[in-house]
Amino acid sequence: MGQVAVLFGGPAPEHDVSILTGLQAGRELVAAGRDPLAIYWTKTGGFVSVDPSSEAAAFLEGPPRDAEVLTLSVGPEGGFSAAGRLGRQRRLDVDAVVLCTHGGPGEDGSIQGALDLAGIRYTGPTVAGAAIGMDKLAFHALMAANAIPALPRVELNGVTDSVGFDGPYIVKPRFGGSSIGIDVVGDLATAKARLGANPHLGAGAVVEPYRPDLVDLQIAVRTFPTLQLSAIERPIRRDAGAEILDYADKYVGSEGMASAPRELPAAVSDDRRRAVLEAATRVASLCSVRGVTRIDFLEGEDGLFVNEINTIPGSLSRYLFIDPPVTFLSLLDDLVSEAMTSSAHHYVTTGADGTVLRAAGAIASKLA
Amino acid sequence: MNPAGDAIAAAALAAGATASWLRWLRVAQREHYLPGSVLRFTWRWWTATPVAAVLSVVAVAATVAAFFIPLLAVVVGLATLVGPPRLGIRGRTSKLAWTRRLRTLAAVSAGLLAILGALAAFTATPVALASVVVLLVPLAVDASSALLAPIELRASRSWVERATRRIERVRPQIVAITGSYGKTSTKQHLADLLAGETAVVPTPRSFNNRAGLARAINDNLADGTRVFIAEMGTYGPGEIRSMCAWCPPDVAVITAIGPVHLERFGTLERTLEAKSEITERARSVVLNVDDQRLAVLADELAGQARDVVRAGSSSPEADVRVEVVEGTWRVTVRGETVAHATQIPGIQAVNLACALAAAVALGFDPVGLAARISKVAPVANRLAVSTAPSGVLIVDDTYNSNPAGAAAALQVLASAPVTGRRVVVTPGMVELGRRQATENEAFAGASALLGATVLVVGRTNAKALEAGVQAHGGTSIGVTDRDSAVQWVRAELGPGDAVLYENDLPDHYP
Repeated sequence: MGQVAVLFGGPAPEHDVSILTGLQAGRELVAAGRDPLAIYWTKTGGFVSVDPSSEAAAFLEGPPRDAEVLTLSVGPEGGFSAAGRLGRQRRLDVDAVVLCTHGGPGEDGSIQGALDLAGIRYTGPTVAGAAIGMDKLAFHALMAANAIPALPRVELNGVTDSVGFDGPYIVKPRFGGSSIGIDVVGDLATAKARLGANPHLGAGAVVEPYRPDLVDLQIAVRTFPTLQLSAIERPIRRDAGAEILDYADKYVGSEGMASAPRELPAAVSDDRRRAVLEAATRVASLCSVRGVTRIDFLEGEDGLFVNEINTIPGSLSRYLFIDPPVTFLSLLDDLVSEAMTSSAHHYVTTGADGTVLRAAGAIASKLA
Repeated sequence: MNPAGDAIAAAALAAGATASWLRWLRVAQREHYLPGSVLRFTWRWWTATPVAAVLSVVAVAATVAAFFIPLLAVVVGLATLVGPPRLGIRGRTSKLAWTRRLRTLAAVSAGLLAILGALAAFTATPVALASVVVLLVPLAVDASSALLAPIELRASRSWVERATRRIERVRPQIVAITGSYGKTSTKQHLADLLAGETAVVPTPRSFNNRAGLARAINDNLADGTRVFIAEMGTYGPGEIRSMCAWCPPDVAVITAIGPVHLERFGTLERTLEAKSEITERARSVVLNVDDQRLAVLADELAGQARDVVRAGSSSPEADVRVEVVEGTWRVTVRGETVAHATQIPGIQAVNLACALAAAVALGFDPVGLAARISKVAPVANRLAVSTAPSGVLIVDDTYNSNPAGAAAALQVLASAPVTGRRVVVTPGMVELGRRQATENEAFAGASALLGATVLVVGRTNAKALEAGVQAHGGTSIGVTDRDSAVQWVRAELGPGDAVLYENDLPDHYP
């Protein structure tokens, strides 16, 4: 038996809130006597092991002082290792990694791909599932192609001259895991001006109509042992006049996402509830959901719109599974069991049987 | 010879040596392993209170006596086990952290002590000589720091090399900020001003020496960073120049020259000289021209055809000026008024001016910058005013440690709407060299003149602070630590009262 690891941090705007999620998971496992390995992914891309009972403040100035440098290597003998005696590397026996990374390379398939290549099992989305969830434009196209209602959303770039709907607009990073970097603007010219100025839009941007009349509805989905939908929540904006549910609303509190203000379960009509459940089930299938995922909707007089999917949601959405109640520990245990029993990747070499190689002849003769 | 007595003495000495060793290791860590610092603190602690002084005399006397009556070594063991009183082994505000560097120091100093102890064992007076060794524990820790210094320098070289590679890979514009005070605030203000405009990374709070800067870069300079703001502190000539060699600033900022770390520089002229090294490689130089010495430097550099941006609040010479006009900030950039901004409590206009000037020097549009002034947040514990649930007005200047800042904080306390009592809680300021006593005395005197009760925290500056209060017929109350002071404030003060928390010292200070 090896250890269960929790991995958090990472070079992303959501680095800090990921630390909160990771430390919550770490503490829960420690409290249950599981001896987890806590792996902190630094802002500059390094991995270090830290005390799973660390406080968030220990990460204010970089890795905590007692952090130990780890190496992640790929290949059949890959995995995490630490510096051992006499300069040798000591390989860590990790059963599975609970990914607590939000945004950036922790939620877009990058870390998932690295762990696949290192032969380490992990919780949450596959490379493909993560990549779809992180790309707001691709996600929207997938919804539109499958007749799941969503607000219009188009790419915004330097030459966009019309978008097919009226302002005011909301400009979002095309790739991003939270409301960081979102701007509300009155017209298209201002929206385009934000492209150069907003550092979060560097990799691309999308624009959609800004609809202050809409309110948020969120639901979580988990896939193991069987597909299960959570209660529906309505997050509450701290500042009633605020334009959007901002990052501070969600995360700036004592416990990150778990302590944000909300109405849970949300008071919605039976019809609306059914519509959310049905849409969430279809989204889960279309996006290859694995682990626990949160799907965010907007609702208004004219209907329900799917907004985005968070494939590694803040606090792993542990506060949403209230009926039937799922404890954080059993949520974590199920995630780990799923990681151990169903691989996130399927590499196939069938067909690579040498036929092509035998028929190929000498490479040199083909070049001449 | 008395084997049982010797065994008891040896056990007491071993316990005392271990406790003492752990205590002084922690002090060494807190003082950045600077050789000499442990001895300085040993003196401070053993002379801090009458009890400590008596205990130290008893320990020395018992050591001498142990040459004749070995059993008296037990007294030495017990004295070093419990003393100096209140210097904790683990620490409360600044805990002992078993980093690699501390482990190395622990191993070397333990080895040194073990060798000395073993040598003592082969003499005619083993117990008495072992007592001497126990008394020399702080010296052994300090000597080990000195022994390890060149090795640690070599180890830190690889961190600096990594940081250099990182800078070359990320290629951000670099703003380097130094100054006797105001540099952390200026750094934070600049980061806040640029946050919505570009990917900006400032060094974390207190990482401003060579190793800290390298660590900040290795841990925080993420790919895609466009502007990196480096705070550079200096303890002596050449230090900033060497940091700039591998972390070359595009824009250099000097915020102020004042009597901070005077125990290392000697004079303000030497301080200015050391800080000026930051300007040598920079494309543009931002100087606070409210400061007379920096105004002169600005003229000098401008005379050498360097690009100088003068920043200031009161000085009309300033290219970027944040002036307080009728309770608002008037922001002018090269003669043109770009904004009238609402003042933000806890932010000093001159620091904001330096930050704006640095952003202008980087090429950002002044009008766009001025629009972001409202996003600038005061740095925590730097002259922040708030009201506690009890109704007591709190002026928090906990992280300040310089005379000019302390005077400014006292001004805030003076102008606060107080109907009841004014109280100043302070352990005084440190690292002011020969001026430490005078500056603390002056600050306490000014507090007393204001009619404030002065709560003197700890013993480090107690004499000077009490003298200052007495000179003006004020009231001072001595408390052992910050927590006791807070308890006193909670018990004694209520609505209408105001308290200034000026500076805080970690608990390795007496």
